[in-house]
Amino acid sequence: MLLTATAINAEAAQAVAAAAPRMDPLHHFQVIRYIEIAPFGMDLFSISNSVLWMWISVAAVYLFFRYAMRQPGLVPGRLQSIAEAGYLFIRGIVDENIGHGGKPFFPLVFSLFFFVLFCNWTGLIPASFTATSQLIVTATLALGIFFLSIFLGFYKHGLKFLGFFVPSGLPVLLLPLMVPIEIISFLARPVSLSVRLFANMTAGHTVLGVLFFFSATLPWIGSWLPFGFSVVFTAVEIFIGFIQAYIFTILTCVYINDSLHLHH
Amino acid sequence: MISSAYAAAEGHAQSSGLPQFESSVFASQMFWTIVSFFVLMYLLNRYVIPAINDILDSRSKKIGEDIQQAERARQEADRLLANYRDQIERARQLTATTIDEARIEAAAIREQALAELGEELNKRKASALEEIERTRVQAMEAVREAAVEIAMLATEKLIAKSVTKPKAESMVKEALEHLEKNRIGMH
Repeated sequence: MLLTATAINAEAAQAVAAAAPRMDPLHHFQVIRYIEIAPFGMDLFSISNSVLWMWISVAAVYLFFRYAMRQPGLVPGRLQSIAEAGYLFIRGIVDENIGHGGKPFFPLVFSLFFFVLFCNWTGLIPASFTATSQLIVTATLALGIFFLSIFLGFYKHGLKFLGFFVPSGLPVLLLPLMVPIEIISFLARPVSLSVRLFANMTAGHTVLGVLFFFSATLPWIGSWLPFGFSVVFTAVEIFIGFIQAYIFTILTCVYINDSLHLHH
Repeated sequence: MISSAYAAAEGHAQSSGLPQFESSVFASQMFWTIVSFFVLMYLLNRYVIPAINDILDSRSKKIGEDIQQAERARQEADRLLANYRDQIERARQLTATTIDEARIEAAAIREQALAELGEELNKRKASALEEIERTRVQAMEAVREAAVEIAMLATEKLIAKSVTKPKAESMVKEALEHLEKNRIGMH
């Protein structure tokens, strides 16, 4: 008897909890597997919402550029001008931050910028998913850049690359202090690179989630305020999406430059 | 029942953390991030970047050619201008010399014409004077003859054949000289 009563109470509480609108601004960061492909028990190839929107971003970048350059003319049309502006923007970044010897890295930097930018931007479409809000995605990119810079350093300079961790013009007495600091700051590069992008995207989308929750659940007399904010904040997010892609790209160039030219 | 409630509570507790740290989805996302990025890089490197490269190169080539062509056209125009200036200068010099020559020729012609005219006038004046002289002499002769006739007639009537013709003539001559003297004296 007592047991059934508790059960009924629990059931009622559960029903009430389910009926009430529950604020969960982190819900839309949940990775949901659409197709599970896990050979030998290793969940390696599963297609999730994150992967789907990564693909959509890749397709959007590629199709935009292909469409913009479908009939390239010496006198560019609107889209061609935008495509060329994007190209020249990245070339400026590469020339400025890598300079001599930076040309082979242009396709990498170009693709990286537009990959991150479009992942940031497609995430703003309602009911979409922001791939760059996943730490593992940004960490994968950042680690790739990190290992590339290490490889480049040893490939170009051999063991002299280790001199990168020894700041020039320092008294020998300070070296035991400075070398570990240099090594730690070098190892922190992929962490800061990935966390910066992931945290920015997560924070922005969380704020948007909270604003949308309030504008949807408050009575109409109070809902216009968070709704108005959400409009403004979407514009801010578009800007942040660009800025973060830009920072990611710039830092990539800086790291590649450090490995190529070893100036410190 | 209780277990289901626990399950619900547990699920709720799970979703309260950041979903990004749920490690079960790491491997697949890592894999697909790498694949997606390299696919994008391949596509852009293969189809987009060369196209933009080409169009930028051909545009800068075109601009360079246009500038060179404009430079050539400018040099040609300069050359033509110098040519025309030269021609105009030559024409001006030619005109000036022509005018000078014409002026000199005109002066010569005028001088010649004046000289001819003067000569002509002198000739006419001379012939006119001659004519006047001749007429005067004739007139004098005629007057004298008339006077002789008159004198002879008068003398004939006065003296009646006593005076011969030579004598009469000398007398008339005397009278005339006297007359002329008187006339000179009157002036």
